[in-house]
Amino acid sequence: MYLTLAWRNIWRNKRRTFITMASIVFAVLLAILLDSIKEGMLFKIQENVVSFYTGSIQIHHHGYWDEKTLDNSFIASDSLDRLIQSHPGIKTSANRLESFALVASDHYTKGCVIVGIEPDQESLVTSLDNKITEGQYLTKEDESVLLAEGLAELLRLKVNDTLVILGQGYHGTSAAGKYPIKGLVKFASPELNKSMVYLPLKESQYLFSAPNLITTKVIDIENINEAGVIEGELADALGANYEVMEWKNLMPELDQMIEGERTENLIFLVVLYMLIAFGIFGTVLMMTVERQYEFGVLVAIGMRKLKLSGVVITENIIISILGAISGTLLSVPAVLYFYKFPIRITGELERAYENFGFEPIFYFSIEPIIFYRQAIIVLCIALVLSVYPLFKILNLEPVAAMRD
Amino acid sequence: MLVAIAWKNIWRNKVRSLVVIIAVMLGLWAGAFILAYVFGMINQRLQDAIGNEVSHLQIHHPEFSKDFDPKYVVHRGDSVLQMLLHDDQVKAATGRVLANGMVASATTSTGGKFIGVDPNLENSVTSFQHNVVAGEYLTNDDKNKIIIGQRLANKLKVKLKSKVVLTFQDVDGTIVAGAFRVKGIFQIYNSTLEENNLYLSRSDLAELLKVESEVHEIAVLLHDPEQVENYVTLLQTNYPLTLTQGWKQLAPELGLMIDSLDQYMIIFLVIILLALSFGIVNTMLMAVLERVREIGMLMAIGMNKMRLFTMISLETIFMVMIAAPTGLLLAYGTITWLGTSGLDLSGLYQEGYAAFGFKSIIYPQLDLIYYYRIMLLVILTAFLASLYPAITALRLDPVKAIRKL
Repeated sequence: MYLTLAWRNIWRNKRRTFITMASIVFAVLLAILLDSIKEGMLFKIQENVVSFYTGSIQIHHHGYWDEKTLDNSFIASDSLDRLIQSHPGIKTSANRLESFALVASDHYTKGCVIVGIEPDQESLVTSLDNKITEGQYLTKEDESVLLAEGLAELLRLKVNDTLVILGQGYHGTSAAGKYPIKGLVKFASPELNKSMVYLPLKESQYLFSAPNLITTKVIDIENINEAGVIEGELADALGANYEVMEWKNLMPELDQMIEGERTENLIFLVVLYMLIAFGIFGTVLMMTVERQYEFGVLVAIGMRKLKLSGVVITENIIISILGAISGTLLSVPAVLYFYKFPIRITGELERAYENFGFEPIFYFSIEPIIFYRQAIIVLCIALVLSVYPLFKILNLEPVAAMRD
Repeated sequence: MLVAIAWKNIWRNKVRSLVVIIAVMLGLWAGAFILAYVFGMINQRLQDAIGNEVSHLQIHHPEFSKDFDPKYVVHRGDSVLQMLLHDDQVKAATGRVLANGMVASATTSTGGKFIGVDPNLENSVTSFQHNVVAGEYLTNDDKNKIIIGQRLANKLKVKLKSKVVLTFQDVDGTIVAGAFRVKGIFQIYNSTLEENNLYLSRSDLAELLKVESEVHEIAVLLHDPEQVENYVTLLQTNYPLTLTQGWKQLAPELGLMIDSLDQYMIIFLVIILLALSFGIVNTMLMAVLERVREIGMLMAIGMNKMRLFTMISLETIFMVMIAAPTGLLLAYGTITWLGTSGLDLSGLYQEGYAAFGFKSIIYPQLDLIYYYRIMLLVILTAFLASLYPAITALRLDPVKAIRKL
């Protein structure tokens, strides 16, 4: 009964219904767009910073992160590899042997990070091959090194010059070697740019007398937002001999920054909700005023106020839900459009982005949660606001209402 | 005549007029507030990074950043610093002596960056004193006292008053060492700094390094952050033997982040303004819809379309004229109030983040010129928004309109 009456009422004055619905549709659409670009921005920051060097998840021997020595390395076994490769959500992984050592040219010496890498895998995880500015990228069998640009400048070395590495190997053995420089890589972060040396994994295992050992397994996953879940699953699967760390634990300051950003952006959404709420309230209010006469007549001919309220509430619920659904449906192509054809950044900022090796675009997130989260919030706002006509009906004086 | 009718129309149906007036007011308030919030946010972020870390600009020997060799001191650093301290544009400046080396406690040792500071000047530039969470900050009379980060303290397993030994190379390349007592422990939002940096008095470090009164780094804070680039150019021309760099060069990641946030803010603003204009269009449409009968009557008794349109437009103008000043006043009030007391967001943080000492109080701020711009923008939006309902009203067929409920 309520439903039939409400449904008929809705279509009796189509224009009014459409205006009310439109205010909700538009509200949902805007809220989703705002949330999508906010999450997209944060997602891109995560992804970019993580792909600098750290990767989304790392696996070490238990205790390595607190005490980074070669003695805390582990054997890169096939069974471990298989276990990781077969885990859902993981794209690929790369082995590294990371160590600290002194590097020297004829006149200069500097402490730096020596990373033994699997060249093919490393380029998949951190796109190291794209960071080459001079010379060539490594191959598996090479007996040469890649040097960060800043470090090369510091040591006054160029491509094809010789670099001397001096350090400590596995279990205190001494490690010394000299290598031709095959290429230079450029890191946007000045810190990395001054301290990185890359060697093929095999060669570095030989240099540090650590055959088959690695210190770090860097894992690239499909969706960085799932890093925490995968971290937990891997930790369970691998047992206590290994430590599994997601990027939030590897780079707590980045996580902090992003969380701070998310909080600060909340205010934008709050202000948007205020505007949306008032926009909807305005329409609901006008609708109520417009229907005073009609309500008056109904009450005068004996409809109980509670029943009338029930009808009006049902109307509002139907309109709100229809609005929220169509708003969400409408936002899907809009967000998808911006996802496929993102807004390009222009001007000075474009160059800055490219210097960092980022794509100069504004990224929109298409995480499903954004869609229903915003639709539900707006729906709630609309439903709370529809209490107003209820209040009006319960205080209705039929005679005065009809005279208006 | 029309003016009087329009004015009376507004007050004939107070609820309807109030809805429109409040919609415009709220729009103005939201626009101004969001803009002020964005400015406050950028400012706070700059202050976090610039205030604690890089400062607006830094002066080094051109070779220093490549080699970190103690012999590369700032050319005539003392006189440059004196000049800066007397410049009106400069808010604060300080000189630092720097060294890289090993720090050892009774149990273990690790690498570190030693920063020799003038306690008072340093505090005026980086407010470093605020970061000291245990013990005390340095004073000018301190001899062989040092302040280390919480993380480093944990790593070295040292407490207040413990002794640590610093080892590094002096200007001649000789290895020197000095024993220092931990006077204070600091915490900072950036964990790398907390693990690497050690602060001691400039004279202590200079003596060990044998650099006398020279400095390796001069950090400068300006009054006006907008002037950084100009000032860098100015210093670079005046002191060609030194290297002056603004914060964007010193911390390129930071510059990139802030610039891209700025751009995102513009998109946010556009979305907010869209929401505002849609709210107004909707309310206005409803208002016209409600008046179908009345407008039909006016047309039926012979009011022509031009006059009707003018009447409706006049009503809009009046309502906006009431809404604009009140909205602006409201925005001004909110912004001034929050600008002094600050908008504390720490309650919104997920648990655990506050533990990092991550403070986020935003002080919204807005220059007068932006109030005008927002007002123009919103008034324009309101007019455009009222155009469609007015045109809809003109299209009404008087006979049908009167017959309507």
